[in-house]
Amino acid sequence: MKLLFSCSLLLFITAACLCGSAATRKLRGISSSYKRFYRERRSFLCIDGSRVIPFEQVNDDYCDCEDGSDEPGTSACPRGRFYCTNLGFRPHYIPSSRVNDGICDCCDASDEYNSHARCQNSCWNLGQRERAYVEGQMRTLDEGLQLKQQLIEEGVLLWREKQAQLRELQQVAEDLQIKLEEHRRRKQEVEQTLKALEAGDTRVRGKNSSESTFRLLDSNKDGSLSVEELQEKLVLVQEEELLLSEEEAVALMGGGRQMDLPMFQHSLWDVLNTENRVKIRGIVDAEDPHLKAADTAAEREASSLKKVEEAYDTINMEISDLRKKLTIDYGPDWEFLFLNSQCYQLNVYEYTYNLCPFNQVTQKSTAGSEVSLGRWGMWAGTPKNPYSQMVYENGEPCWQGGSRSTTVTLTCGTETALCGVKEPSKCQYIIDFQTPVACQPVLKQRGIHSEL
Amino acid sequence: MATFTERMAPVLVLWLAVFLSGTWAVDKGNFKTCDQSSFCKRQRALKPGESPYRALLETMELTNTRLTLQLINDNNKVRLLLELYRLQGNMTRVKINELKPLKPRYEVPDVLIREPPTEPLSLLSQDENGVVLSLGAESQRVILSARPFRLDIMEGRDVVMSLNSRGLLAFEHLRMRKDTQADPEAEKKEEADPAAQPEAAKEEEKDEDGMWEETFKSHTDSKPNGPSAVSLDFSLPGVEHVYGIPEHADTLRLKTTENGDPYRLYNLDVFQYELYNPMALYGAVPVMLAHNAQRTTGVFWLNAAETWVDISSNTAGKTVFGKMLDYVQGSNETPQTDVRWISESGIIDVFIMLGPTPKDVFSQYASLTGTQAFPPLAAVGYHQCRWNYNDQEDVAAVDAGFDEHDIPYDYIWLDIEHTDGKRYFTWDPHKFATPKEMLQGLSDKKRKMVAIVDPHIKVDSNYKIHNEIRSRSFYIKNKDGGDYEGWCWPGSAGYPDFTRADMRDWWASMFAYNQYEGSMENLDTWNDMNEPSVFNGPEVTMHKDAMHGAWEHRDVHNLYGFYVQMATAEGLIQRSGGVERPFVLTRAFFAGSQRYGAVWTGDNAAEWEHLKISIPMCLSLGLVGISFCGADVGGFFKSPNTELLVRWYQTGAYQPFFRAHAHLDTPRREPWLFGPENTALIREAVRQRYTLLPYWYLQFYHAHRTGEPIMRPLWVEYPEDPATFALEDEFLIGRDLLVHPVTEEGARGVTAYLPGKDQVWFDVHTFQKHNGAQNLYIPVTMSSIPVFQRGGSIIPRKIRVRRSSSCMMQDPYTLYVALNLQRTAEGELYIDDGHTFNYEKEFIHRRLSFANNVLSSVNLAPEAQFSTGSWIERIVILGASKPSKVLLKTDDGQESQVEFDFDASMSVLTLRKPGMNAGADWNVMLQ
Repeated sequence: MKLLFSCSLLLFITAACLCGSAATRKLRGISSSYKRFYRERRSFLCIDGSRVIPFEQVNDDYCDCEDGSDEPGTSACPRGRFYCTNLGFRPHYIPSSRVNDGICDCCDASDEYNSHARCQNSCWNLGQRERAYVEGQMRTLDEGLQLKQQLIEEGVLLWREKQAQLRELQQVAEDLQIKLEEHRRRKQEVEQTLKALEAGDTRVRGKNSSESTFRLLDSNKDGSLSVEELQEKLVLVQEEELLLSEEEAVALMGGGRQMDLPMFQHSLWDVLNTENRVKIRGIVDAEDPHLKAADTAAEREASSLKKVEEAYDTINMEISDLRKKLTIDYGPDWEFLFLNSQCYQLNVYEYTYNLCPFNQVTQKSTAGSEVSLGRWGMWAGTPKNPYSQMVYENGEPCWQGGSRSTTVTLTCGTETALCGVKEPSKCQYIIDFQTPVACQPVLKQRGIHSEL
Repeated sequence: MATFTERMAPVLVLWLAVFLSGTWAVDKGNFKTCDQSSFCKRQRALKPGESPYRALLETMELTNTRLTLQLINDNNKVRLLLELYRLQGNMTRVKINELKPLKPRYEVPDVLIREPPTEPLSLLSQDENGVVLSLGAESQRVILSARPFRLDIMEGRDVVMSLNSRGLLAFEHLRMRKDTQADPEAEKKEEADPAAQPEAAKEEEKDEDGMWEETFKSHTDSKPNGPSAVSLDFSLPGVEHVYGIPEHADTLRLKTTENGDPYRLYNLDVFQYELYNPMALYGAVPVMLAHNAQRTTGVFWLNAAETWVDISSNTAGKTVFGKMLDYVQGSNETPQTDVRWISESGIIDVFIMLGPTPKDVFSQYASLTGTQAFPPLAAVGYHQCRWNYNDQEDVAAVDAGFDEHDIPYDYIWLDIEHTDGKRYFTWDPHKFATPKEMLQGLSDKKRKMVAIVDPHIKVDSNYKIHNEIRSRSFYIKNKDGGDYEGWCWPGSAGYPDFTRADMRDWWASMFAYNQYEGSMENLDTWNDMNEPSVFNGPEVTMHKDAMHGAWEHRDVHNLYGFYVQMATAEGLIQRSGGVERPFVLTRAFFAGSQRYGAVWTGDNAAEWEHLKISIPMCLSLGLVGISFCGADVGGFFKSPNTELLVRWYQTGAYQPFFRAHAHLDTPRREPWLFGPENTALIREAVRQRYTLLPYWYLQFYHAHRTGEPIMRPLWVEYPEDPATFALEDEFLIGRDLLVHPVTEEGARGVTAYLPGKDQVWFDVHTFQKHNGAQNLYIPVTMSSIPVFQRGGSIIPRKIRVRRSSSCMMQDPYTLYVALNLQRTAEGELYIDDGHTFNYEKEFIHRRLSFANNVLSSVNLAPEAQFSTGSWIERIVILGASKPSKVLLKTDDGQESQVEFDFDASMSVLTLRKPGMNAGADWNVMLQ
């Protein structure tokens, strides 16, 4: 009974308070620009024009207007909104459902005028903090923009440099091309000479060589080779030329001690031609000196052609690389160009993340190996600012299909660095990347409210 | 949460190959069929009509509370002891055990809330063929026939249910293994004991394969106790519809099983379960309901071992035309359903709930195993879950997202990754370095968190929990007496023996704020993997020959998850000094699990069929007492398309447990990630949930008081209307809301059956009135959630939807009064503090009724004390006519006029701001 009494007393007091402050109640939750809709009259027209209600029903904690406009200061309307004046900070609207819900939403505590929540007015502190923050941001922005200007200038220079480099490379390539053609021509000539010589040589060699060799070996010209003659004329070639022992000479003779021309042609001649280790002493290459010269020249020409070809390919590769790099969109002022050859790292828990802009993103765990989180894909920011986001795609495949990809969000900062990596869904990474070149001169903070 | 293979991949590469080679479905080969489960195969091979059991009437003893009688198996002379009880509330309990078992057989403890009170049985007649007993004052009798043994429960001249009518009672007695030398002294003793003479005289029974050892895949079950299965058949004359025995991903109405496997009850962590089949899932409630237009009955088979249930029917094969023909020709064959239960061990302990109404059966079952725990109000709100919210920053960002998009929620959830290396009760030192700060942040927004605590404990000598369990010898033991170890998320893990009361007490004490570091009042708990899941165990669970003290895991398996949740809920209660109501979600469950919290349907998939089956799966659970049921909104595996996600939110908003959840490998799917239009659709669905919280909370209160399901099949309210018996694409919440969610892709309309001759239903969105007993086609758009309020009901709502349920505590009510054709309506209003056990004394419970143009609020609990700041801001009367004036009379005798608005086109009368306190007496008169 006592409990009931005190409760109803409390209700009574609350009711009295509400009545007493009727005038302020009507103003609750309205911004100054909306005040014109709420001028004290006999009736109130819902702002959407749907209905007219008695003025007493404005902010009477019952929703009459479809658009919620009759209850700007209470939680009665599902679609309503409440205006936090937040003097000293930033004014804003909250949904009506947050009025008197026991949670402080407006920093001026105006939303909790009839709840148990003990809200402090924190607008001034928030404003201070906000102002400090904004100042910090502005400083960052200023500094960032200056740095950006430098980077743009550097970018332009770099761009020109790259262009010059490209031109240079192209020049070198052209020179090489000329050289290449020259070499090809020379090589052809040499090869023709060689061919002609060889054609002649084979003719001679095919008929004479076994006979002439026989004559060469047959020191005493008796039409037959002896062990001694072989020992005198032939050598074993290993590291150096070694004399034949008698047994070896006999072995070469096929066990006999004498050998005539037909026999020579059928045995030892073949051995001499196929077995490199047995050579005729002194006259190791008893070849035509012209042929030899032509051969050497051909070899020389081939190898220098090869060198030139290699150089030409290398240059062309460099050119195509450079061209590819230069086709990437580095921003209107080439301000992102300087990022191209850089890499940035960040450690998060047990992982090291590595972003090489316009190239790739990788992740390395302290224990494991490096995993690709994506290769450069494209700019993917807003239509207004396409350069606010990069996408890297087709990284290492994922366990359940698909492949890893990374979205890099660029924000304005005075340094170029990674600030954070997240993996909100499996294999989908988000990197926060700060750099002065992301600073936008249009960035403007909403003003802090100090009127009223 | 997930099943094993996937999360394990990084750890057990071997599994990976299996997974990748598989299609998107359960690997059936991992789970036993009846043929692969030796006792099931043995029992199923028995032929009906050859029962060897005979009742020895001369052994009958009838006391005031029970009848006992011996049964003899004429084949082997083994004797059984039958106990028959008449229980209060129109139930009969039949217990059968071995008369002299070699060692005790397991009887399930802790599931019944008390020893069920009995009522006297009286003997009506007796002769050499049997006895007739009277079941109380009604015309109910039990006829016990002796040869073969059989029980028939009669009402008047009708047989309600028969036991062993097909002669499939089987009781594998415990025996010595033949190839082991029996203890000679024991044999001597047996010979000396006349009751044991069957041992000596018994016919030689052949040992069959699998009696003493059984191998499945690479796992061998050592079966030191040999065969021990029990089985009994039940016949249900006149019954064509049976329900229950969850958990199966199957239709509401159970199917006959003659052409396939029986329904299996064996708690298992099934990876990517398949729909519409009788395979076992995460939980088991061995309760079946039988229903026809005249009567509802139930059978509760209290056995925690692996169980199979065969269902057959004499009308199953018949077409509708065939049935009609039978009817026209006056076929003398009444429809009948036969059910057979087979369990691997334990005893036969059956509770026969005789109804006769569905609600009688609910109250009968509730009197045995208790009712749904009354959850804190917040748990009835929306839950945002994902495997995993990565770190505190992530949690803060998601929390802020809900505010930014103005979507209410009450709980955000953390899955296993929040722990320090899958050590439960700990936090990842980097990602969740300051959990209290995080919880405080949520608390400042009047929101809460659930963190997962699984029962597998990492074997790690630097882990306090493990060390304590090991030193207290609380782990389950393997067959050789060492601590049982299996693989789960943390790698090698031990499994605490939750069947021990001292272990549960210790576990509960771990939730104390000074034990569970970083926990706070707004942190609740989720028990996953408590089947238990053992990645490298047989069928992904524990070896049956593992030991819980004297009992084998075989005996207690289906109880494990029940005990885990019991101990956890107890911990949450204790940490608050018994003040706060706990909230614990479990994946595994058993009969009685309703007393400890909520369950969900496990690891479903983002597919339309999974959305559809969430309805029969939760309906089946509700029928057996587990009301607090939900399915992962959006689907756990795979990624839903936007339409499916929206439809799932719309469906989930009208199911008891409303939680979105997603697999680790799926893309993010917070409600605002699918464009403003879809964000708005999801917001609207969640808001509808919150406006209805007063009604939902009232339903939970009812479920807690009565055991009636919250989400219920239509036949529960319309038991005489056969058109409702198999409906599973629509359902009722309580009595008064009918929901037919859109679960078809690209749907342009749905056809809802509105039950009740001479009834009307009101579309809750348009207030359009529809007649009952018709199929109503409802055109739908993406924003449609077809919901109807029953004419004759009053539903309280809070239409000021705020950030969380607790922000809405003091908000005013809008009463929706839907008039029936007699222009009357009734409803209730229930209010308490929303979170403590004080509701037992401090609450408001009022009856709202409308009759003779007067709407009044009457106190239903005058002895209860509670005061609320909530008031009645609006009364919407559907199907009304225009009054000339409306008067409000409050209990102090004062009268005042109430403004109103009348919409003649829809006959909707809206009373503006009557303003009375929700806890007061009042009358509103339409004149």
